[in-house]
Amino acid sequence: MNQGATRITLLRWAFAAPALMLVTLFIAAPYLNIVVMSLRSPSNVQAFGPGFTLQNYVRVLSDRLYLGLLGDTLLYAAVTVALCLLLAYPTALHLARTQSRYRGLMYAAVLSPLLTGVVVRCFGWIVLLATQGLVNDALRRLGIGPIQFLYRPLGMVIALVHVFLPFMILPIKNAIEAIDPRLEEAARTLGATQAKVFLRVTLPLSMPGVQSGVILVFVLAASAYVIPMLLGGGRVQTMATIIVQQLLGGLLWPFGAALALVLSCAVALLLVIFALVTRRAMRRLA
Amino acid sequence: MSRLTITELTKLYGPHPAVQDFGLDVAEGEFVSLLGPSGCGKTTTLRCVAGLEIPTTGRIRFGDHDVTRLPPEKRNIGMVFQNYALFPHMRVAENVAFGLEMRGLSGAEVRRKVDAVLDMVQLGGLEARHPRQLSGGQQQRVALARALVVEPALLLLDEPLANLDARLRDEMRVFIRSLQQRVGITTLYVTHDQAEAMTMSDRIVIMFEGRIHQIGSPRDIYHRPATRAAANFVGQSNLFAGKVVERDNKRGVVETAVGRLRCECPPDIAVGTVGHVMLRPEAIRLVCAGSGIAGRITEQHFLGNVVDYRVTLANGATISVQTVGEEAPWAEERVGVMFDESRAWLVP
Repeated sequence: MNQGATRITLLRWAFAAPALMLVTLFIAAPYLNIVVMSLRSPSNVQAFGPGFTLQNYVRVLSDRLYLGLLGDTLLYAAVTVALCLLLAYPTALHLARTQSRYRGLMYAAVLSPLLTGVVVRCFGWIVLLATQGLVNDALRRLGIGPIQFLYRPLGMVIALVHVFLPFMILPIKNAIEAIDPRLEEAARTLGATQAKVFLRVTLPLSMPGVQSGVILVFVLAASAYVIPMLLGGGRVQTMATIIVQQLLGGLLWPFGAALALVLSCAVALLLVIFALVTRRAMRRLA
Repeated sequence: MSRLTITELTKLYGPHPAVQDFGLDVAEGEFVSLLGPSGCGKTTTLRCVAGLEIPTTGRIRFGDHDVTRLPPEKRNIGMVFQNYALFPHMRVAENVAFGLEMRGLSGAEVRRKVDAVLDMVQLGGLEARHPRQLSGGQQQRVALARALVVEPALLLLDEPLANLDARLRDEMRVFIRSLQQRVGITTLYVTHDQAEAMTMSDRIVIMFEGRIHQIGSPRDIYHRPATRAAANFVGQSNLFAGKVVERDNKRGVVETAVGRLRCECPPDIAVGTVGHVMLRPEAIRLVCAGSGIAGRITEQHFLGNVVDYRVTLANGATISVQTVGEEAPWAEERVGVMFDESRAWLVP
């Protein structure tokens, strides 16, 4: 009995071994490397100097410039999440419920932002949002604008929303599809109008999908580099762009590593708070 | 509480009719079951009454009130689903209170009504549980409480016992029926289980392929089935094809392969009509070989209170015979069978 259990445990580890090795190799090891790097002392002549120090963290956390950038980055991510949620929920609801024979096509349309590289999509937005671009052209005809989209947070957030929208739609769609349609029918027979059914049954039961979508998009948007780089054109700075500047431009590896870890910790902290706030609702659904 | 009138109800899915020309009148406080195999249209009919489906043609009235086009939330019904459809994110008390809140009630009144109905279904003390913390039978009773607490005009039940194990099913059958009688609510009950329909209903509607085959009391349905399909679906039946050769007031004589059989006939049957004489297994007796119609026992199944025999007759037909309270098995393979013709019925 005991022997059998031991064997099963061993077998489990054996099956998990390849995955564990991959995780160690590609996630744990690089992260550890960054942690170690962030504690190295800076140097002007090589990647890092001798000995270890907390100096890099002190610099990040005491400089208004970097704290401001961290705040901006998290704010852009939060706005992206909010816009994605607003756009994604109705789309997900429709996609989950439609009986249309074009269902497959709609699904493909939702996934389409993932089919081309992010650089290509950014250039697409640059063409559309330029001062003489299609969008401003249309706005001019309506007597509005021109609006300066590019090289401002506005254009960047538009592109962020576009690129990360599928990561909000898909989990919400799955959550809605998992809701037993009879629950909504039961609510109707109990006297609930369609609006009440949505508010009291569909929306609360789809919260697990909303939660995953919010986490995914927030993490992706806070750490995005290419989009702020191309649509911000160097005039919009986020933590990601400044980190790359430190690493490639200044060759300040220890300081860049410290910046990266501060961003990761801030994002993780916010997600923990988010999870705690939504925990009550989640526990009821578990 | 109200009377339910369904007239000429037809529901098409594309060109395919799920229900055709369905007509039924359910009196106030009556318990009527829709009985039939899966796909016979019974659930579609119930969903039309609930407003979850809109009939293609036909009318549905609650009392004098035409509800055919009303959405479900305006019909004042209580419905229990096969999987109970309890809201997983709400506690028992919140589930039960849902319908009351939708009717604009709040506070003390809601609490009083919820307490009362939970007492009625014997679930007092479980208010704070979540549905997944309850057994199947308890979930079933929460669903009943949730449907009844709003004092609906009509109670609709869609195979509510199908997910319970056999013993609990028997218990809930009695429970639902006595609850229904206590509340006195008009009830439409959908099932494919003849035992449920027989024991609970005032009347049964037998349906096949979207059409009504018979409407009648459980005794009528069992003893005087209107069609062969109905005879075969409810209980076991032995059918002997033949032609009516004599006819008097209520009875007739039918010439069959096993001889002339006297049987009760529906009123519109004339001499010359072709039909089947039906004898239920318990209307046939086994006797010693030599008397009655000669046959051979090919199988016997001991079920405790009854023994179920398969007897092959001289003409090759196999009939089923049930005897009650026998202790020793029938020793001889060769037997005779005697028909109790007072219980024979002509199925048109």
